[in-house]
Amino acid sequence: MGQSIMYGIISVIICVAYFTLIDHVFMDMQGLDYWYLFRK
Amino acid sequence: MGRVTRKNLFSIMALCAMVGLLLLPIVMALPSPATGEEAPTADGAKKDGDKVEKGRDVYYKTEGIVVGAPAPKTMDGPRDYPRYNFESRVLLWFANQQHLYYGSFVLAVPIFCMVIEFMGVMTKDKALAKRYDQLAYDFIKISLTAYSLTAILGGILIFTFLTLYPAFFGYLSSIFRPVMHIYALMFVAESGTLYVYYYGWDKMKEGFLKWIHLSMSVILNVIGTLLMMLANSWIGFMMSPAGVDEQGRFLGNIWHVIHTALWNPLNVHRLLGNMAFGGGVVAAYAAYKFLASKTDEDRAHYDWMGYIAMALGVAFLIPLPFAGYWLMREVYAYRQQMGITLMGGLLAWLFIIQATMIGILFLSTNYYLWQAMGRMRGAEKYQRYIKYLVFLLACGYLVFITPHTMVMTPAELKAMGGQQHPVLGNYGVMSAKNGGINVIITTTVLSFVWYMRGNKVSTVSWAKFGNIFMGVFFACAYINIIWLAIYGYYIPANVRVGLSVPQVATTLSCLFFMFALNSVMMKGAKQMGPIEWGKISVRSQYALIMLATAFTWMMGLMGYIRSSVRLFWHVNEIMRDNSPWAYTHTTGFAANMISFNVLFFWLSILFVFWLGSLAAKKAPVEAKAGVPGSVPQPAGSH
Repeated sequence: MGQSIMYGIISVIICVAYFTLIDHVFMDMQGLDYWYLFRK
Repeated sequence: MGRVTRKNLFSIMALCAMVGLLLLPIVMALPSPATGEEAPTADGAKKDGDKVEKGRDVYYKTEGIVVGAPAPKTMDGPRDYPRYNFESRVLLWFANQQHLYYGSFVLAVPIFCMVIEFMGVMTKDKALAKRYDQLAYDFIKISLTAYSLTAILGGILIFTFLTLYPAFFGYLSSIFRPVMHIYALMFVAESGTLYVYYYGWDKMKEGFLKWIHLSMSVILNVIGTLLMMLANSWIGFMMSPAGVDEQGRFLGNIWHVIHTALWNPLNVHRLLGNMAFGGGVVAAYAAYKFLASKTDEDRAHYDWMGYIAMALGVAFLIPLPFAGYWLMREVYAYRQQMGITLMGGLLAWLFIIQATMIGILFLSTNYYLWQAMGRMRGAEKYQRYIKYLVFLLACGYLVFITPHTMVMTPAELKAMGGQQHPVLGNYGVMSAKNGGINVIITTTVLSFVWYMRGNKVSTVSWAKFGNIFMGVFFACAYINIIWLAIYGYYIPANVRVGLSVPQVATTLSCLFFMFALNSVMMKGAKQMGPIEWGKISVRSQYALIMLATAFTWMMGLMGYIRSSVRLFWHVNEIMRDNSPWAYTHTTGFAANMISFNVLFFWLSILFVFWLGSLAAKKAPVEAKAGVPGSVPQPAGSH
């Protein structure tokens, strides 16, 4: 069980980092600011 | 040995002849752009001095020497618009649509043959290789009769143009004269290659000759794709003309006329669309044969055939919406008003219908895959989760089809408090719709992944981590798609418009990474039992027929939308349509017409299938002896 939780946490960290990177990079490539709302 | 060598020599010669045929139009086009006269040169222009008239390209904005006549200014009457006591446009619509259906089918099926034949050559399992070969042969056999019908329908289409729209067709052929000749030559090359490819199947089934045969299929498909691209240049020119001045006079550069603003997006969109459509039609054929089968062996074969055709069709259906977005983006870039007419104006309701059809396609695909899991032992473990996929699909679908505004009576408008519904009105925007369709596609990818691992248990040492990672990856992908859809409501439109790209990237990440990860995990996996081909519910086969019908209907609809966006122009902003039918039909009339075209296509292709079955019945011995593996055995893998 403990191992599964550990795997789950590692997976979440990788996936969240990956999708955030995707969002940022693909908006940046279009010259747009992904963090627009948070910078305001 | 000598016989084999002679065979090899003949095969290589045939292949060289096909390459020669393929290159012939290019060679013919080299000496001059074939404008019908001597191409004007810079020297010639200098000699003639002031006599040379120059024009400015309406799209490329380059100057060129006028070599063509202006677009005719037509008038309603028997000279420009001869007619029967009937709307000429409807006759043309019918001829065009039927030709397109059959054309798409016969262009798509050889591509499938090429892929499946290649899989057969590459696979190490000899029994499976024979089955792939037999399947590819079955595919090309179906398309052969349809090929003749395509040519006949092409002839009917040209005669319809010539007799009912002579002024317009005269102008178009004066611009595209060299392209039309090249098109005709390519058609000859396509026919020759197809017949050699089909009739040479048995004689070239092994060793080096098989590779020659496979190379022929590559050439066949290159010719087919070029044919489609040439035909696309005509509709591209009608929508977004180039290479002519504002009066429609040809400026001598045939490449400008072909390479219009919308040509490439149309090429990509049509190629993918044809493939998805071809897959759907073959899947429906397999479903029909499955339902009519009397023996378990036949059922197993047609079940397998239906699955392969469906998988190939859906493989091209998944990127189709993205190609559609690119096409629309280019339409907006070319003429913003044209884009608004399509998606926010006169034709917007047709896009709601289109969304409904796209949703049906994906729902049918998912339903088929869930049913197909029934034929493999071990897939029961996924059954209890299917209801969650249904929930996701239903939510995505409902958001995807919600219109922005409704057509209402004043009383209804008053009761609702405005044009938009206070709750549902929020979903009728692109931000939500992008989220909806991406959820649907991601769910389809998930269904495929479950299907692929249905009867297998991974034996890799990191299987536990792999499974958890896949689950988390899909969950995060859903969250990211929905988050981006909601985020779009809180930021300005010029920033929001870019969110569709990371949404698409998220969906494609699931497609590529999860398929790859699953394949690695399932390498050498323990099988719970073989796939029992033929042991699938009858309902699943109706889902395949539904899939094919929805493809056909949607193709008709999208063709109508693309054509209607020109409104009252034969050639957009160059040649006006002055016939009495230069108006946009009501949505109801268009839907009835599309349904009629779909019905006619299916009835006629059923006839084609029946003809094919007659040929099979006449030569049972030859078929069995000539094509090994005609009696299928259940496959161990897929």
